[in-house]
Amino acid sequence: MNKNALADTKREVVCHQDDLQPGQMLEYTFGRHPVVVCRAEDGRFFAFLNRCIHQGAPLSKGKLCGATAPTSNIGEYRFEKEGDILRCPWHGREFDIKNSGCMLAQPKYKLKSFKVTVEDEHVVIYR
Amino acid sequence: MAVTSYQAEQKSNQKKLNLIDTDIHERVMYEDLLAYLDQPYRRYITDCHWLQEKHMPYTQPAVAGVDRADAIVPDGRPAGSDLSFMQEQLLDACGHQAGILTGALDPSPSSMHGWYEMATALATAYNDWQIENWLEKDERLYGSVHIAAQDPQAAVREIERVGSHPKMVQVLLPIDDIMWGDPYYHPIFEAAQRHDLMIGMHHNEPPVYYGKWPRYFIEWHTLIPTAHMNQVTNMVFNGVFEKFEGLKLMMIEGGFTYVPFLMRKMDQQYKDLRHEVPWVKRMPSDTIREHICFTTQPLEEMNKKTFLEVLDQMGTDDIVSFSTDYPHWDYDSPFEALPPNLDANLQRKLFYENALRFYPKLKGLAGGVSHE
Repeated sequence: MNKNALADTKREVVCHQDDLQPGQMLEYTFGRHPVVVCRAEDGRFFAFLNRCIHQGAPLSKGKLCGATAPTSNIGEYRFEKEGDILRCPWHGREFDIKNSGCMLAQPKYKLKSFKVTVEDEHVVIYR
Repeated sequence: MAVTSYQAEQKSNQKKLNLIDTDIHERVMYEDLLAYLDQPYRRYITDCHWLQEKHMPYTQPAVAGVDRADAIVPDGRPAGSDLSFMQEQLLDACGHQAGILTGALDPSPSSMHGWYEMATALATAYNDWQIENWLEKDERLYGSVHIAAQDPQAAVREIERVGSHPKMVQVLLPIDDIMWGDPYYHPIFEAAQRHDLMIGMHHNEPPVYYGKWPRYFIEWHTLIPTAHMNQVTNMVFNGVFEKFEGLKLMMIEGGFTYVPFLMRKMDQQYKDLRHEVPWVKRMPSDTIREHICFTTQPLEEMNKKTFLEVLDQMGTDDIVSFSTDYPHWDYDSPFEALPPNLDANLQRKLFYENALRFYPKLKGLAGGVSHE
């Protein structure tokens, strides 16, 4: 990518904030990067490179959902973080959108994220 | 607002491969089989609502059950049920030279423990449906002969009926309670060999846990290779490959990283216990290297060094063949699953040449293909 292209993709308006409801995802091309914009149940927006760090699956085809919480009690299921977990459409790996896109099973691995703001009711993405 | 698509992105970023994909799952709907079923079997489905009860207690591993979430047909039909969507998402996107269909296992004639007549009728219908709707509609697709192995004589008749079809390349055997080395299966091996068909083994509802299901899916999925190890060990020590010298075996969806261990273990046992199986004339690892090929998926994540060490311990890189398992949840991408920067010659073997060498009826593919 040349320097001009970088400059062109530094800030872009993605959509009106009402175009994406809580629990929904949106595919967006930011420069040459495929991006998935997620809206959590609390209304906040998050954006990541739309490629799973495992085998490159398009995360936007997965699901925003919750996850079973770690527990010390064998056989106990406690569901939490509803709407905050992005699961890959292929192998189902779980990423916490509110925790920098960290993978639940191995938090040292995380999705590449983009800064997102809401400006004049519009979702704006930065790199 | 621009919308990306996986296929477009993949095409632009990846060079095409020459690929023989050794595990693709096409899916039949019960209603699609009706036209291929004779009476009275058809009416058992239409009038009596027959369907094959499956017993897997857990079908929730990923976002869309056992399928890739993005492989569900856009009109809502199940993943793998539409040829054009499979062409777009898999064959065209990845640049397949050939793909071997292995069925969706539901209905699965070979896993019916009763009513052999219905199982045999289903196998016949399935094969006809597969030929007409897949094999004869895309030159890249090759097929598996489905049989009701519970009735070996009927199974042989089915192999005789469709085994000579130019695009049928293997016979699928079930993992069940009779091991493959048992003479019970010998008529099937004989028929397969007569028609230049490999024997393909794909797990279905494998007895990996003393014939039962483990408590969690993660256990079952981890232990699939143990079912493959059972069958390979049984076939080799029961002398199948001495009796059927031309028979080739494709072990599908069990991976291959267990093979170095199994080779060492079998060779060690053979040195000590050969007297019990005097019909076995060669070291087991030599028999494996000559007769058996292993598909890659589901591939554990490995760096290049570890990957090459596994191959080195097998003593050959000629018996591993790439597979995607499309459209299932644990699909392996041909662009992403293998360690990066593998030698071009090795890639050629894994993606293409090894499958070509094992499947007698793929020989026609050999001409006019060059690997980048």
